[in-house]
Amino acid sequence: MLKKLKHSKIKAITVLSSLFLAIFISVPIICVVTHTTLSALMTSLASEEIQFAIRLSLETAAISTIMCIAISVPAAYALARYDFFGKSVINTILDAPLALPPLVAGVGLLILFGTTSFGKALADAGLVFVFTPYGIVIAQFFVNVPFMLRILRGTFQSINPRYEHVAETLGCTRAQAFWHVTLPMSKNGFLAGSVITWSKGIGEFGAALMLAGATRMKTETLPISVFLNMSCGELDLAIAAATILIIISLISLFAFERYGGFAQVF
Amino acid sequence: MIRIEHLSKDLGEFFLRDITLDIKDGEYFMVLGPTGAGKTILLETIAGIYRADSGRIFLDGQDITDIPPRERNIGMVYQDYTLFPFLTVEENIAFGLKMRKVARSEIKRRVDELANLMGVVHLLHRYPGTLSGGEQQRIAIARALIMEPKVMLLDEPLSALDPQTAERLRQELKNIHSITDTTTTIIHVTHSFEEAFLLGSRMAIMNKGEIVQVGTPNEVFRKPNSEFVAEFLGVGNLFQGESRIDADSGIASIDVGGINIVSATLKSGSVHVSIRPEDILVSTKQIVSSARNSFKGKIAGIVDAGTILKIAVDVGIDTPFVVAITKRSFDELNLKMGREVYITFKASAVHLF
Repeated sequence: MLKKLKHSKIKAITVLSSLFLAIFISVPIICVVTHTTLSALMTSLASEEIQFAIRLSLETAAISTIMCIAISVPAAYALARYDFFGKSVINTILDAPLALPPLVAGVGLLILFGTTSFGKALADAGLVFVFTPYGIVIAQFFVNVPFMLRILRGTFQSINPRYEHVAETLGCTRAQAFWHVTLPMSKNGFLAGSVITWSKGIGEFGAALMLAGATRMKTETLPISVFLNMSCGELDLAIAAATILIIISLISLFAFERYGGFAQVF
Repeated sequence: MIRIEHLSKDLGEFFLRDITLDIKDGEYFMVLGPTGAGKTILLETIAGIYRADSGRIFLDGQDITDIPPRERNIGMVYQDYTLFPFLTVEENIAFGLKMRKVARSEIKRRVDELANLMGVVHLLHRYPGTLSGGEQQRIAIARALIMEPKVMLLDEPLSALDPQTAERLRQELKNIHSITDTTTTIIHVTHSFEEAFLLGSRMAIMNKGEIVQVGTPNEVFRKPNSEFVAEFLGVGNLFQGESRIDADSGIASIDVGGINIVSATLKSGSVHVSIRPEDILVSTKQIVSSARNSFKGKIAGIVDAGTILKIAVDVGIDTPFVVAITKRSFDELNLKMGREVYITFKASAVHLF
């Protein structure tokens, strides 16, 4: 009896802790969404500035996600399938952006593109990253590529190379075997990776702020919009932007849970 | 014809060392060996998935060592089926022809034909994940056969199946030449001696990346050329004969050329009979027991096999029985060459296949 009581005490304390956490996380979110009236929210959403921020966020995140896929597919394949000199060092370096504060990443990117001859050469060629929307894309790419890479690496690792071997005996080249067999088998990984990279891209603030700055109607993504409008007291606009960010996060969280359960992100 | 000359490949954990083999057109060739002997990588190197470190492979006189798998016309079937899970059975079987850009109507015709021969017509619209192991393996075989390969490589195709399914599929593999045209050469890898014996026209025994013996199953079995082969095959007594089932007593009686062996395994017709040397009792006088088999013979050979002795007992048929006994029993029974003894074993110790 005593034992049971003791056991249920532990149960009560632990369950209460989790309940407290859940409340602590939901309340601020509810606070944001319920702070203004629905009509004020609609008016703000229709404003030119928020419309611009939405469009810029969706576009930059889509482009940086495509860039992440383009480079992660071959890189993740190599890391999953081959043994080569320096592989573990490369693996560690590729994970670094996960641990690095985005603000610091932004400073590094700013110095790279703003002060080095490499950055100047790119600028001369017409690719200006400092204080432009291009900078937002690069910042998102830098911070989020490890997510895509890790998910795809895990996905490729989970696929037995024998599928490709069989495909090769059935008339495929190596590339065709990858395209016709491994890619379709990686569908869930691609979906999970794209959703998480895209939604994190939309929320990216620190690195983008450093490299692309916070210029109204020029490099104003949704998080930048929250920041700018909070700074100058435009609460309704800030909340409109924040609400959209919340909705996007919830959708992506749901999609990731649904399709990415197997993928190893951290 | 496949000719393999001094083939070597090192993949670290698995490796091949100086493999030389000649396999004839239309032959059903077995490769037998323990886990880790390098059997799978031998097949994968023949298929072209791995490049040989050294040595050459010839197919019909053409050197194929350096050409990619898709140009070799060699089919591959793995133990774990490796059917493409995102394609239906029909699309799986059609995969190779689609890669070759064969006309759609022709693909349809060939898929139906092969599905028919492999007995999987009713499964064509299903996905592999919902099928049993036996069904998946038939589809994997059909998917390879549709390419009309010159050589089929089978990597333990029966090992993942339950005994009944394996037995049925083995029968079909035995008749595979009636499905394919008769020149399809088959190389079948297994760790089961029984499979090798029943299917192979010839077999190679592999150990630690090397071929240790090649021959017909009978040759290899009768004359193992090394301790390893003898140990690995380990069956001991093997006979061939005609089996008849006695319905009244519920036992099988096998005539193995002079003597009748009684078995508890019910199987009729032409069979192989095996009895492990440890299951046979030797005595100097006839003993009365429940064991159904007892024969009188003479000791024709004595071999010291370490902790035990193996003695050969000639009972008047072609091959002597091999019996394993401890040294102590050997001394106590005062056995020696030419001495008359009785051997006794139970009907349940007689294995038929």
